[in-house]
Amino acid sequence: MKAKEMNRKQSSGQVILIAVLAIALILLSTQIYVFEVQMSRGNFNSSPLNDYIFAIKLGSRNVVIGSIANASESGSSTTFVANLDRWVALVNKQNQFGRSALNYTVEETTPYSSGIWLFWGTNGFGVSSASVQFTLNLSDREADADLSYFINITTTLTVKGSYRTILGDEKQVNVTVNLLNDGKPALANQITLYYRILNTWSVPNASNNYAVTDYGNGTYVTSFLANIPSQTVEVSVSVRDQRQILVKTNATCSQR
Amino acid sequence: MLDNKGQIRIIEAFLAISVMFSVLVLTAPMSSTPDFEKQGRLKKLGAQVLIELDNNGTLGKLIEDGNWIALRQAMNLFLPASTFYNLTVYDENMQRVNTEEVSNSNQQGPEAIVIQYLCATQSSETHFYTVWLQLAWPK
Repeated sequence: MKAKEMNRKQSSGQVILIAVLAIALILLSTQIYVFEVQMSRGNFNSSPLNDYIFAIKLGSRNVVIGSIANASESGSSTTFVANLDRWVALVNKQNQFGRSALNYTVEETTPYSSGIWLFWGTNGFGVSSASVQFTLNLSDREADADLSYFINITTTLTVKGSYRTILGDEKQVNVTVNLLNDGKPALANQITLYYRILNTWSVPNASNNYAVTDYGNGTYVTSFLANIPSQTVEVSVSVRDQRQILVKTNATCSQR
Repeated sequence: MLDNKGQIRIIEAFLAISVMFSVLVLTAPMSSTPDFEKQGRLKKLGAQVLIELDNNGTLGKLIEDGNWIALRQAMNLFLPASTFYNLTVYDENMQRVNTEEVSNSNQQGPEAIVIQYLCATQSSETHFYTVWLQLAWPK
């Protein structure tokens, strides 16, 4: 009995050592577990990738807006393709989420040509539009993302006019202008109206009692007085929207 | 025999202390590793601010016009007051564009994150910029 107690006393140091080892193992494994959980959470969070894709789409849209603004000013579509090439080159240099491969195809279906459609008609309807299809591929060791998106930027102008003869050649002309951005009513940044006397286009001013009423929903009604000898009153309207895209159209006013 | 027993106890105690000490030394760097969740939230916040600014072309216009004061004001407005930021803009040739500092502090903690954002202007003469946004929360 005494020998047994003696033996237990002698091995108590080893028991402490084993207990210490066990505590150390528990501490170590807990830390490793916490570390692994943090790592997996950090890696699994896919929102930075979504934000990146969204930013690329936003940038692509800005390029198309800038390019149609340029094309509507110059009438040339070469800048559009050049801008797209620069944008694609910049995106494809990125490696935040592995290898980026952005490609584009400009719309060639009629009425588009090299992605641009400029129609400034004489029937009170004008369009400035750009259209392009992008494909984006992101690939790295852990994930692949493939998506395609279509961007169409269109500014549409509709003009309707009417006039009434006041006395002799003097006429009061009312012109209603409607502006749409991608099919939705939009505000104009600048509206310039011209009326035709023989072969000369004139801009009405204060001496013509020129007035513009903004309805705040993309509809503008202008009115002015002018001496127009002919029975046909022709107007031309040039509008720059808030994206700096220019669109024009001519219209023949009807008699009230 | 009795003298030896005392020495063994000392060795055992020494061993126990060394084991505990080495475990603490091993686990200390692990507990000070970056907080990925915190960094993720910071990245999300920064990306959201830049996207919000770029949504209607404001970011590109401010950079194009060199309006660094307005850009700083916009960043101060969109980011929480406790967030440290430092924004640098580079052109297509990776030449620094901003002539003035766009930041609210020169303090960047060890857990600062960087967001790289590509920006295209809406102007008819399209410009492309790479925006580097460093963000940190105070410790």
